[in-house]
Amino acid sequence: MKKYYLLIAVVFLVARVSQAQITLNLALNSRPQAHLSDWGNPVNGVMIISYSQGAIQIDPAIKLKTTLLDQNGSVVGVSNVGAERVYLLKPGVNQFSIADALQLQNLMLFGGAKIQLQRTGRLAAGQYQLMIEITNTAGDLVLTKQGKPFYVTSYQLPILMQPADGAGLDAHIAQSIITFRWTALVPHQEIQVYRVQVFEILPGQTPMQAFRGNRPLVDEEAIRGATQFIWHPNLAMVDTTANKKFIWTVQTFDSDGLPVPTEDANTQGRSEPAIFNIVNQQGTVDKNKNDQIKQ
Amino acid sequence: MNNFTKISVILLLFLSFYANAQDEKPKAISVTGDMGVWYEYYGLDRSPESSIPNFYHPRKPWNTLRFSFNPNISVGKWSIPFNFNFSALQNNFVTPVAPGKQSVWQFLTNPANNFGISPKIGSTEILLGTQTLHYSDLSTGDVGVFGYGVNLAPGKFRFRFFNGVSQRPVNYVAPTLVPPNPGIVGAYQRNQYMAQVGMEKEGKYFVGFNLVKATDKINSLTSIPLPPIEPQQNVIVSFVAKATTGDGWNYYFEVGQSYHTTDLNTPLSNVAVPDFKPFLRARTATNKDNALMLGIAKKGSDWEIGGKFNYYGAGYFTAGYPFMNNDRMEYLANTRFNAWKKKINVVASIGQRFGNLSLLSGPNVTKQLIANINVFTQFSDRFSLNTSFNNFGFNAADISGYKSVSNELSINPSYTWTNTKMSNLISATYTWSKYDETIIIPPSVTKNNTQTLLVLYVPTVFSAKLNPDFSVLWFRNTAPAINLTLLTATAGVNWKIDTKFKLKGQLQYNLTTTSPFTANKNILITSGYDWALYKKLTWQMLITINVYKYGTELPGSSLIPLYTGNPGYLESSVRTGLLYRF
Repeated sequence: MKKYYLLIAVVFLVARVSQAQITLNLALNSRPQAHLSDWGNPVNGVMIISYSQGAIQIDPAIKLKTTLLDQNGSVVGVSNVGAERVYLLKPGVNQFSIADALQLQNLMLFGGAKIQLQRTGRLAAGQYQLMIEITNTAGDLVLTKQGKPFYVTSYQLPILMQPADGAGLDAHIAQSIITFRWTALVPHQEIQVYRVQVFEILPGQTPMQAFRGNRPLVDEEAIRGATQFIWHPNLAMVDTTANKKFIWTVQTFDSDGLPVPTEDANTQGRSEPAIFNIVNQQGTVDKNKNDQIKQ
Repeated sequence: MNNFTKISVILLLFLSFYANAQDEKPKAISVTGDMGVWYEYYGLDRSPESSIPNFYHPRKPWNTLRFSFNPNISVGKWSIPFNFNFSALQNNFVTPVAPGKQSVWQFLTNPANNFGISPKIGSTEILLGTQTLHYSDLSTGDVGVFGYGVNLAPGKFRFRFFNGVSQRPVNYVAPTLVPPNPGIVGAYQRNQYMAQVGMEKEGKYFVGFNLVKATDKINSLTSIPLPPIEPQQNVIVSFVAKATTGDGWNYYFEVGQSYHTTDLNTPLSNVAVPDFKPFLRARTATNKDNALMLGIAKKGSDWEIGGKFNYYGAGYFTAGYPFMNNDRMEYLANTRFNAWKKKINVVASIGQRFGNLSLLSGPNVTKQLIANINVFTQFSDRFSLNTSFNNFGFNAADISGYKSVSNELSINPSYTWTNTKMSNLISATYTWSKYDETIIIPPSVTKNNTQTLLVLYVPTVFSAKLNPDFSVLWFRNTAPAINLTLLTATAGVNWKIDTKFKLKGQLQYNLTTTSPFTANKNILITSGYDWALYKKLTWQMLITINVYKYGTELPGSSLIPLYTGNPGYLESSVRTGLLYRF
């Protein structure tokens, strides 16, 4: 009987030694970037695989098997076993990016997630789990594994409401006060930072030329969480030579103070801008009225 | 193709065109259009000059100098319009400022500048320099692109092509604490190709295909931006059809598909999105999505009615409209008609917008209602009334239950009375606005009410050269923790000294009170003139001075170092321009 105990102990020890040779540490940011293709950026975390040569040699050639699960534990996607890359571990610490762990170029998504990824490169907002298994090159022996939950947040930028695009504002009111309103960021956050930016469209400029090339007259933060901003322009507007046309936007920042990510990061979290005109300026409407009266 | 080659191609095209123009028999040359120079000085004197916190920041560059050169030279059948307007100084804000002195290439491709020439003969147009080309609403037409191209219109066929740079290269500069420097985010050079092939009968129909390809040039920088700014690639294919019938019907249809690689550094992959050869090789960061626009309108002699429908998929992106909001669908019905012997004019629209269709940003679709109506009635020669109402509501998609509703009603009566010597116009505008925001989790309701009243009086003595106007404005905004009242009195004058010289001036006094503080007071003085120096040369000048004194809202004791009295500032600007009409 002792022989059997000894044998079991040896088998257990071998197994332990084998397991001890490869350890996996998946340090995944609990709120990684929305675009899965961005997961190579260090901000999303790192995967460390430690490999130590023990008494029993373990093949340093490994494969990673990736499984993505939703909050119900249902499989959303899994890596293609046949096409997984073979890594040759070096003794000591082997560092990988989270993109290596996710292996997006080899990840087969199912159902709605597949369509979402194809259309947007993102997963729908919600809780997920990333499961990584280290296997031998044949893929039939799991050497170690680890799962980490993460939460996906995707934003939809505010839409500018007032002044509406193309609106005409009375010069006599607008030179003292203009009220700006916009829809809230989705998902709504109570303490949200919005910066209102207003640019004058100078003579001869196109609106987008002014927007992309000029310095704003206003670059101010609205009251935290509020979707309204009252501007006191104190600019000469009852004159046709100045301050005739403006373009405005709202720049939205996330809880870390960074611009909310958008399709084109160059826009720095700015909503689609809107134009407003100043009307009833002296020399235009009033003068025309007087001319009509004289006639 | 490097920048030198691009500039050379543009110059070569222009010179060859010019040489062709010279081959023509000598013909009369005519020049129309204008050219000018425009300068603005801005000054700010604060009391105290420096403090912590800095209570008022300059809102303009100290000096702004812009040049414009827009002649249209006609030589026989040739027409050569120029569209130059530019500034040697950089004031970029939305796009990054080039560190140090901008290179010639950065100057030419700075979005603040425009250097465009479009020589045209018959149905052929050559495009050189900066062009803002509107091919369609789903492809390109928003941003200026510096490059070269051609528009051809043989018979019913239309062919348009352009290649250029829509985003100039700017190196990344890291922020520093000492000396304090926010750094520069940087941007890759974005090269853009666009082409359109179609058929058109002017005023009847147009059908065509658009292809736009934009690629960020990875090696355009020596110091690359940090994530999330990555080099991108975008290809758009769209089909557009427009038609107008003889009985007043207008139709618009466009469908587009975008391929967008958000990061060109990611590995090639066909797993999610297949290649779009020969224009794009798919990567793990490539998305593909669609957009659709439909429009229909019918125009009568005294009326107009129309409707439109737009859909932008969550992954639809076009570098031609980089700020476009996607993941939405909207419909809008609008009408305009006259009634009561054309004395009533009604303009109305109603529509709804749905956002987060992809459910990427929450479990539900956002909903937004937009409704406007404007009724203008000319009761008599003397009395008219304009009334408008607009409403918008917004429901967020998330569990917070966020909802906002805005209602705004505006009434504007005008009365004019005239005798043989003078006319008088008195006009009033009253606006009532209610804006409520509701959140279920955590429960809160924010009620925001605004009222505005403007009364304007304009007397005009027919024999006098001097025409004054007077107005009074009252504005009140109440919301939790906000009780803002504004009172403004304004007097203005126009003095036409002779046919060549017109003086103008305005004095405005503002009292801005935020309860419970005492009022902030400011005076805005504006003065200027329009002077026709010669038949074709005019000189405009506008000087503005704004003297602002804070009330107890900003006591001097709250500043470091302590300041005795209430802080204030004097803001001045001098805007002048010379305009020559050819």
